[in-house]
Order: sequence, then structure tokens, then C-alpha cells
Amino acid sequence: MAFVSMKFLFFLLVVCGGYFIMPAKLKWVWLLICSYTFYLLNDARAVAFIIFTTVITYITGRILGKINRNQKTYLKENKTVLSREEKKCFKAKNITKKKWTLFTAILANLGLLVFLKYFNFFAGNINAVLSNLSLQMEVPILNLMLPLGISFYTLQALGYLIDVYRDKYEPDRNLAKFALFLSFFPQIVQGPIARYNQLAHQLYEAHKFEYKRVAFGAQLILWGFMKKLIIADRLAPFVDEIFNNYVNYQGITLFLGALAYGFQVYTDFSGGMDIARGAAQILGIDVAVNFERPYFARSISEFWRRWHITLGSWMKDYVFYPLALSKGFNKLGKRARNIFGNYIGKILPTFLSMFIVFLLVGVWHGSSWKYVAYGIWNGVFISGSILLEPVYEKIIAKLKINTKCFSWGFFQAIRTIFLCSIGRFFSRGVSCMAALRMIKHTFTVFNPWVLTDYSFYELGINERNMIVLVAMGLVLLVVGIMQERGIHIREKIAEQNLYFRWLVYLGALAVLLIFGVYGNGLASTVFIYQQF
Amino acid sequence: MREELMKILEELRPDVEFEKEKKLIDDGILDSFDIVTLVGDLNDTFDIDINVEDLQPENFNCVDNMLVLIEKLQDEE
Repeated sequence: MAFVSMKFLFFLLVVCGGYFIMPAKLKWVWLLICSYTFYLLNDARAVAFIIFTTVITYITGRILGKINRNQKTYLKENKTVLSREEKKCFKAKNITKKKWTLFTAILANLGLLVFLKYFNFFAGNINAVLSNLSLQMEVPILNLMLPLGISFYTLQALGYLIDVYRDKYEPDRNLAKFALFLSFFPQIVQGPIARYNQLAHQLYEAHKFEYKRVAFGAQLILWGFMKKLIIADRLAPFVDEIFNNYVNYQGITLFLGALAYGFQVYTDFSGGMDIARGAAQILGIDVAVNFERPYFARSISEFWRRWHITLGSWMKDYVFYPLALSKGFNKLGKRARNIFGNYIGKILPTFLSMFIVFLLVGVWHGSSWKYVAYGIWNGVFISGSILLEPVYEKIIAKLKINTKCFSWGFFQAIRTIFLCSIGRFFSRGVSCMAALRMIKHTFTVFNPWVLTDYSFYELGINERNMIVLVAMGLVLLVVGIMQERGIHIREKIAEQNLYFRWLVYLGALAVLLIFGVYGNGLASTVFIYQQF
Repeated sequence: MREELMKILEELRPDVEFEKEKKLIDDGILDSFDIVTLVGDLNDTFDIDINVEDLQPENFNCVDNMLVLIEKLQDEE
């Protein structure tokens, strides 16, 4: 059951109807039943995997919680008896126990994800090496399935475990409730990657029907449908044509393909997030924001702070900080300080950690060398931009550039869009070599006339589609500018009189029905991030 | 201790008025790069060991809270 389908809307209606008539005590049970029904309807074969992750994570959480509690009780009861050294020794023993427990659970959860997602990639590469060495051996390529949402719910489960390990909160005592936390249907398809302390209590509480919330949620769903069906799916044929037949194109045409893919994936993913957030909001649940207008960013690092925010923040808390503050990296920094001086010694652990994070973000998207290259591309640009910041500042001062005016901000935003679009060659290219070839042919062929000779109209976007895209793009831009200025659009619309309000709602619905790109039975294509 | 901390903070970010700010993390004034550098400097200067577990926003939101954290960790050492 695709998110963007009549079936899903009907499913949501049943879920919400049932939720609001259900007795308060059973509301979370209803959500659990609906979430597992949604999962079964989408990927029945894979339900065992999510149950496996749920059970392992739940049990490990309880064990870690018990160790934390025992430690606190023991230290409290023996506060006056134990010496400082004895306390330290007791804590160290507990940490070792906790580390092993956590490590086992991470190995099970992450091991499953890595096996299903990357085994064939490793096997393929090993086979290529063996074949080059003329060895008559082969690692078998397995017919593996990738369960729905595994890349998202695994990270969610690991985040929970690490937080319990860090004694940030008590573990969940109820397996069924915890199963709901990992499987909540609006975010199982493609996130956002939730934090237990922000989401779980909202799922377990009973929420009553509230007109304003339901109306706002429905509006957000409508907005998500518009992004996905009017923009993302309209750009798809053009993007597919350029990337699948890249050898036929060159120069600006290739660049426009990458630029279009950027906007396709943005409207596709953020549209999906709007639908997820809207569905949850109707039920009275606020799920995390995953996008904050990334195309308004003035640098690539700011772009990544606005794009897929929950993945970035997960990586920051559970990979970046632990690495950058680890004893190993600390030693490395000190060694580098002795060899290369104070500045390099200080920044090396941070840069190395950040580079690893971007590599992981790249590889998280899929098992291909192109994603490794995508991670390296982003890592290099962000490291470069931070390292060269003092140089930029000197140049700006020397040229007396006013950085506070609109034109400078506009230039920075365009520059960011340009650099991000180049990175898209890797994430959408059919392979790493194809991406490199596309980049080469983008910059070595100068063909600006393709912008004016209407040749695009033969590449999947006709004149009518172009007009719709430009118009919808402008709507997106105006909405983005208003949001950047802190204007709450749905609140603003709600303040208007009844006739105007309904004119806006019905107008948006009509635009969606007339200009949306539909397949059979009003179904849409699957979300791009659903495949990651 | 306060003077030493202020010196570290002012060197790290001369553009920030640390005595006035109460939401250094919540408002995104200090980014993750600043935090890693700050933790390294605090560890060296005050001979403490700030762990990932201590990286809670409330511990770094203002100067007073940072001092509380430093004192707590010094006590534990």
C-alpha cells in the first residue's frame, strides 16, 4: 500500500476513526495493530525482521537498565562505606558489562542490516578481485530482500539502546508498547528517525479528537501529495531519461538533469515527510521535522543541517561525538599536534570524525561505490569549506564585499545549489563511473543553446509540464520564504474567513487532482527514500 | 575557575557574549565543531574527562552550567 494512494487515504480514515472512538486505555493498542497491519500489507515477508529487531532491542534495553539501576542503588547504599577508588572500580566493571551487552545488540541489529543491504555488494567486489587474480573461486550472490524501513527502524533502535546505555532514560518495560515505537506506521516507510524520549510517550498517551489538529494534519498531507504528485513525479521522466541514457547527453543538459533530480528527490522525500507528519498530527502525535528548506542554505554544511535532519542528528549524537571525543582520536590529535603543529592537531580528530560520518551517510543510501563517492564528495566539500573559511574571510575583506545584503545571500544559495547538484550525479548516476563521466561531460561541453531551442520538450517534459513545474516551483518558493520569516502558513489561513479558507483548500485539492501525475488507479510511484 | 573558562570560551568564539547567552546549544550558537574543541580544551585545562554521556544540552547551554559540570567531574576524579 503506497503512501500516495487512495488505499492509504482509506486506511488512514479507518485508523483515525478507530483511534478516536477507542477507549483511552486501548488507543495505543489500536495504533500497534494498525502499524503492524500497515507493515503486513506492504511487506508481509519481512515482518519477522522488524519483530527480531524489536525483541532484541527490548531485551537489551531491559538488561542495560537493570545494570544502571543496580549501580545507582549499590553506590547509594554504600556511599559512606566505599572509598573513591572502590567506587571507580565498581563503575568500571559495570561499564565493561554494559559495553559487551550493547555491543552484542548492535552486532545483531546492525549485522542484520549490513548483511541484507551490503552482502551482495561485498560479494560482487570480492568476486571481481578473485576473477582479476584468475582464481577459480566465487562468493555466491544471494537473493536477499531488504525489509521495508529497515534502514530507518534499525537506527531508531540503536539510538534507543545507546541512550539507555548512557542512562539518559529508563528502558521501556512493555514489549508491545516498544513494538509500537519501532513500527509506528507514518514513519516506517522512510522515517523520520525518531528519538524514544520525544516520540514514545506521545504514542502511549491517549489523544482526543481536536478539530484544529485534524484540519492542520489533513492540510499537511495535501501539501505532501502536491509536492510528490505535481513536482516529483512530473520531473521523474526527464531525470530518468538523462541518467539512464547519459551517454546521449552533454553539457548543460546533464547539469539540468542533476539539478532536476535534486528537486525531484527533495519534493519526493519532503512530500513523504509531510504526509507522515500530517497523518501523525491528526492523531495528536508530533513527529520530528526532517526538512527545513535545504535549498535556502548558504553552504553545503548548512544544507546538510536542513536536509534529512533526523539522520544528521542521529549521526552527530551516535557517531560523530563518540568518535571525535574518543581516547583513540584524542591520542591521534596529540600525535598530530607534535608533528604538524597545534592547529592541525586540534582539528584533525574533528575532521576525521566528520569525514567518517559523511562516508557512512553516503553508504547508508545503498550498496554501491557511487554512494561511497557521494559521501566522499560531501565530506571533502564540507571539510574544505571549513578549512578555507579564514581564507574566504580575508578575500571578502580585501574585496570589500558586503555580506549582509540580499545579493550575497542569493549568490551563496545559488553556489550551494550548484555544488549539491554536482553531488547528485553520484547519488542518482547508474554507477560511479557513469557519474564521473557525466561530470566530465558537463564541464567539457559548452552548449547553452539547449536552454532556448526547446529540445527539452522531447526529454519527458513538454511545454504544459514545464509551465506547471514553474508555477508550482514559485508556490514552493513563496511558501519557503514565508516559513523562513517565521510565518505559520496554516495558522494564517485559519485566521481568514470561512469562504476564503475553503477557497484555498478546495483550490489546492483541485490543483492536485488536475495537475498531479497519476498512474493506474490514482497510484503514484514509490518514494525514492523508501528504497534506501 | 570562571576566569579560565571565560578565557577558553572567548578564544573559541570571540563573537559570542557568553555571560549573556543562556541557550548556547538550544539556539545553535555553538555548533558540533565548537563543542568538540571546547571539550578538548576543558579536559586539558581542568584535568577532567568529559564523556559523550555528559554532552547534554543543559550542561553546555550557559557558563554557569559548564562550571557545574566541571566541578562535578573534578569531584569524581
